[in-house]
Amino acid sequence: MDGTTQILTTLILLLAMVISVLVTQFIRRRRDLYVLRDIPAYRVLPGRVGEAIEANRPVHISLGSAGVGAGSTILALASAELAYQMAGRAAIGAAPPILTVADPTAIPLVQDTLRRAYAARGLVSSRRGSVRWYPGGGRSLAFAAALTATLGDDHVATNLLVGSFGAELALVTEAAMRRDQSVIAASDQLEGQAVAFVMSDPPLIGEEVYAAAGYLGGSPAQTASVVAQDVLRLLLILAILLPTAIALGDALLNGRFSAAIGRLLGGG
Amino acid sequence: MGRLGSALTSAVAIGFGLLTLLGLLAGGFFGTIANLFIQITVITAAAAVLIGIANLLGVHFGRIRERRGGWGYSIILLLSTIGVLLLYILERANVLTGTPAPTTILLESVQVAIESALAGLVLFALVYGALRLLRRKVSASGLLFTLVLLVLLAGALPLANATPLALIRDWLLAVPVSAGARGILLGIALATVVTGMRVLIGQDRSYRE
Repeated sequence: MDGTTQILTTLILLLAMVISVLVTQFIRRRRDLYVLRDIPAYRVLPGRVGEAIEANRPVHISLGSAGVGAGSTILALASAELAYQMAGRAAIGAAPPILTVADPTAIPLVQDTLRRAYAARGLVSSRRGSVRWYPGGGRSLAFAAALTATLGDDHVATNLLVGSFGAELALVTEAAMRRDQSVIAASDQLEGQAVAFVMSDPPLIGEEVYAAAGYLGGSPAQTASVVAQDVLRLLLILAILLPTAIALGDALLNGRFSAAIGRLLGGG
Repeated sequence: MGRLGSALTSAVAIGFGLLTLLGLLAGGFFGTIANLFIQITVITAAAAVLIGIANLLGVHFGRIRERRGGWGYSIILLLSTIGVLLLYILERANVLTGTPAPTTILLESVQVAIESALAGLVLFALVYGALRLLRRKVSASGLLFTLVLLVLLAGALPLANATPLALIRDWLLAVPVSAGARGILLGIALATVVTGMRVLIGQDRSYRE
């Protein structure tokens, strides 16, 4: 890693840490300090789980090929948090939730997620959820084929496909639509995200997966993480827009724009 | 998990996480430690395949025992798994020889062929799904998707008078698609940093409960 990248990485990490810690403290003191923007998928998810419980059919949650120990570790943790929120709600139903993974390193993570979800409901002794590994790996059509079979065999009511999927996600979502099962999907892979945007009702986009805890959990630390993301995004937008505006101004005014800004900032 | 256990797991996760981060950023002595941790992670991840196989066999044995829907397929899956494992063991013991190896033949003539056939279905699944979606609810995003899909497919046709469509397709891929993709990737990267930082400073509860 060269010096500049090293400094920039450290700065971004420090900024993220400072914002997370500060915002958590502010939100602990005043919970109404920040109103989270509406994400339709998180609005409808609890209702979908409720419908599944009423229909006595399981909720299917899949992490795709997200796993622990590689580049998708944080995604796997974020998806597991979403799975925790959903499994906790589905735990009171007669049909236990089904969690599917393609990466074996995600099995202990989702097993523990399921345990925590049942424990949070005080139902740890009656834990019945099912964790299933279908070998596949990234962009695996074999995994997608296995999921399409699961949807039919287990009479799934609603699908939450949030993790790492490629274009093969189309096979799963199409199979779900054919069976009148609802789908909410998101992926960290662009091809998978494109499919998810069209086939998911409503869609989740990219970083919204990481905000699940803030929207469905609601503790100050979880909300602070969403706020920290929003603040960093705003800073990034400014970092992109400001140089663009200066370059545009210079192009239109033959370089006098940046000179004027320099004078305004006291550069002579 | 008790309060002490929770504190211990948090301390271990935070300590290892910070040391690894420091090693990756600063290198030197800490870099060596970080590499050691990463090697341990890789070995643990490899061992996870055994957990996966145990899970796979357990799920399908259960399905057969309880005669749940699709249990016939579970029998085929179990027989295939055991068959491939036996083949591999015989290969390693040099009982089965030949090039290409029998497991390679199986992979290429069965799995690759089936996955290729499924890959061919992805396009149809996508188009059919988009049509169903539009039939259920006509939304701006659904319409935009269908329009772009049609332009991209028509632009890919090897026809002489389809050049304007090919130009539009190239522009779509180079400008809006590229910009959107970068936007999504930047958003994911920011969220990854924040979530990773939450884990490092002990705000994530996945290892605390």
